[in-house]
Amino acid sequence: MSEPLLLGLGLRASYFLRLGEVRAVDGVDIEVPRDAVVGLAGESGCGKSTLVNVLLANIRPPLRVKSGKVLLDGVDLLSVSREEVRKKIWGVKVSYVPQSALNALNPTKRIIELVKDAITQHTPATDQEVVSLCKRRLEELNLPTDSIHKYPHELSGGMRQRVIIAISTLLNPRLLIVDEPTSALDVSTQKQVLKMMLDMKRNRIIDSILFVTHELPVLRQVASHVYIMYAGKIVEYGPADSVFFNPLHPYTKALMYSVMTPEPESRERGLVTIPGEPPSLIMPPQGCRFHPRCPYVMDICRRSEPRLVPLGEGRGVACFLHHSEVAG
Amino acid sequence: MLRSVSKIITPELFTIKKLDASLAVLLTVFALGFVGPTVYTVQPTAVVGPLESPPSSLYPLGTDAYGKDVLAQLMAGIRGSLQIGATAAAIALLIGVLIGLMAGYKGKIIDNLLMMLTDIVLLLPSILLMILVAAYFKWRDPLLVSIIIGVTSWPWVARAVRSQTLSLKNREFVNLSKMAGLSDFQIVIRDILPNIASYIFMAYVLLMSGAMIAETGLSMIGLGTTQGVTLGNILFWAQVLEAVRRGLWWWFIPPGATLVALAASLLMIATALDEYFNPRLRGS
Amino acid sequence: MPTISPFIIYILRKGLFIIATFFAFLLVIFALPRAIPGNPVAALLTQIFQQAQANPDTVKAVYRKFMEEFGLYKPLHEQLFDFLSRLMVGDLGTSIAFYPRKVADLVASYLPWTLGLLIPAILVAWVLGNLLGAWAAYRRRTRVDNALLPVFLVLSQVPYYWLAMILLYTFAVTARIFPVAGAYPPAMQPSLTPAFILAMLHHYTLPFLSIVVVAIGGWAIGMRVLVIYELRSDYVEYSELLGLSDKKILGYVFRNSILPQITGLALSMGTVMGGALITELVFSYPGTGYLLFRALSTLDYPLIQGTFIILVSTLLAANLIVDILYAYIDPRIRVSYVGD
Repeated sequence: MSEPLLLGLGLRASYFLRLGEVRAVDGVDIEVPRDAVVGLAGESGCGKSTLVNVLLANIRPPLRVKSGKVLLDGVDLLSVSREEVRKKIWGVKVSYVPQSALNALNPTKRIIELVKDAITQHTPATDQEVVSLCKRRLEELNLPTDSIHKYPHELSGGMRQRVIIAISTLLNPRLLIVDEPTSALDVSTQKQVLKMMLDMKRNRIIDSILFVTHELPVLRQVASHVYIMYAGKIVEYGPADSVFFNPLHPYTKALMYSVMTPEPESRERGLVTIPGEPPSLIMPPQGCRFHPRCPYVMDICRRSEPRLVPLGEGRGVACFLHHSEVAG
Repeated sequence: MLRSVSKIITPELFTIKKLDASLAVLLTVFALGFVGPTVYTVQPTAVVGPLESPPSSLYPLGTDAYGKDVLAQLMAGIRGSLQIGATAAAIALLIGVLIGLMAGYKGKIIDNLLMMLTDIVLLLPSILLMILVAAYFKWRDPLLVSIIIGVTSWPWVARAVRSQTLSLKNREFVNLSKMAGLSDFQIVIRDILPNIASYIFMAYVLLMSGAMIAETGLSMIGLGTTQGVTLGNILFWAQVLEAVRRGLWWWFIPPGATLVALAASLLMIATALDEYFNPRLRGS
Repeated sequence: MPTISPFIIYILRKGLFIIATFFAFLLVIFALPRAIPGNPVAALLTQIFQQAQANPDTVKAVYRKFMEEFGLYKPLHEQLFDFLSRLMVGDLGTSIAFYPRKVADLVASYLPWTLGLLIPAILVAWVLGNLLGAWAAYRRRTRVDNALLPVFLVLSQVPYYWLAMILLYTFAVTARIFPVAGAYPPAMQPSLTPAFILAMLHHYTLPFLSIVVVAIGGWAIGMRVLVIYELRSDYVEYSELLGLSDKKILGYVFRNSILPQITGLALSMGTVMGGALITELVFSYPGTGYLLFRALSTLDYPLIQGTFIILVSTLLAANLIVDILYAYIDPRIRVSYVGD
């Protein structure tokens, strides 16, 4: 098997606030293989956006990385200076598409101006070269080429999101990280955005996608691998088919159950309705962090914390219900 | 060299120091105005000494062109300015809050009309309006001056209260009160006002510092109160009787410096309150 | 159907609003003396009339002239109509203190000094204040910001005219570097000779500085907060993750933060003007502030009204210009919403 595209190892990162240390990423290993769409799912506030920032090596106070490595082609991004990451990684090897396309673009610049400012940071290109590169790419993706000469407010939400994805990947990065790219869009626009991303992968504009979301159904349509995150930890991972067909962790089940029987109001607000609240990451519960909300809670769950144990066939779970299977 | 953008966006501690220093300055000025006269019993309006005497052990801040004691005037002026500032701010606050609440809560036509009025008054510079109104009154007691300042300084309060009311009026607890059959008046009193109380307090502090500066401006152009002493009319007489060109620094520096100390400490207190109540400014 | 660009609609709306404001202001000017118990204008005329009884025909002529101009014996609506129609042809009446000079001519001869002081001072303070405020925001939580912010806060609360007194005392009375009064030496005749211009600048420095230094404080405070908010916006983070340099991003932020400051410029001009009028008194600078003070101390109501009408129309015109400029610079207003 080939070396993975991106590998996060033993990642721990916290926000240091006056209130205390918020352990948003608390011992995470994650792997994005080549030619894959990896889904990262969890409720809001579980630390997935922080994990994304760590994987991007976008660390700004009060966030601090306490330990771990992020290997891209064998280079640890966390040991490279921010200036160098910005020049040689972001937009070149790894691109990021933010959650809110509405505010992601400078409202007073035409889109092409932003693109010029971005591309010329990475490669010496003339303005005309940037414009023609941009136009060719939009044509390839069936987007109207005149949109680059517009201001952000002149584009509809879905168009803006697609244009952002297109301009984020102009330099053919290996990995595209998308954070809730569809949650603000209506269903038909969602489909267009998803299709465009898969087309880009097929056309080898990008190799892999890391897709962050709280909506499992979206992952079902696109992901080849999934990671389920809860309270700063990965609680389950594996090939998408296998996890969706046979979820093992009670949280995964709850997450699937709650979105598979959607209540209209909660769907509208984009809420996942699992009874109870996500725990505080300053004072996480003793033992298994999910135990206060878990319907299958046992004595041991309150006392000690389950490790994330590999089960074979690329799967793993952090739950005492399944640890006996491994032991036995 | 430019620093990384990221360094700018870190959370900061609530600036306690700024608040402490401002409160200390404010208390000092208050003490000077209210406790001072019990210790230093010279009459502010009495001719007590030689004309234009520089500060000495006998006259700590010297005397003016009439031989009146500047320190005694300063202490009376602090009280006079604070009185006008407090009254004018209360009037402006009352108008601003009423209009803002009505516009924000009632909405529609009332909102449009009131906001149009507000924008018109906002566009006309308040200091010019004050001068214009005051010009028609021969005798102006402190209350009249306060009213003139108050009725021209409310528009920004109305705007701010309106936007706060707008954001509150569709909240759940307001809807509950509506369902419970409370009248608009009761809802405003029970649900809206308590929620903007901190803001109203801040606005009052700012209005007060603005009103004291406005009083000084009116006085300087000869339209201040014709009764009693304020920091503004000490400065006015210093200006009219050429204190600056004749080098009588003790006559015009202390009242101005006191005014700046008062206004600036009030502003800093309001800023500190704003940082406290409005966490957006504080950082994540 | 022909579509009108939003730029034009925006300007038309602003223009109409400014005209409405101007009329509201005229109404206040008209109503004030008439609403105050014992109408001060009528009282003044009575006073002139009493002098006229005992005096020769010239004072009687003066009395008749002002009765005619104020028309107080006519019904209110006719008075208003007369007032407005005389304004339409630029007739602001006759000054009492400077009789028989016309108010419009008087104000016109003093106004250039005020505008010459005010416009450069406002613009210089705006530019410097915004640069300093942005600098403080970029250096947030460093010694730069910690030192600058209290200075801005205190400066913003200093009355222009008090700083004027301090500057005058320090640099003219004590240090004798600058002249103590006026806009040019009394011995000189205004002309465009280098010597006169130099002398004028010499007189100009202190009044100009006293306005600029104070106004910087307010602009800097506003800009600092705007930049701090703007730095937290999503596009800053996204631009950084596209690989843009700090320099470029700070450029974006500065440009976007300064847009609201343009609107602020329009709103603040009146306050600065008010302060500057009083500053003129301190320096005996021959502008409208000085004229207004003369008018106020002699209860020259026609001159007071006329000065205010001219000052406020100047302000409103400046407001409109700034609004148009703003609409032109901000693409969200200039460019039509024809996306899709």
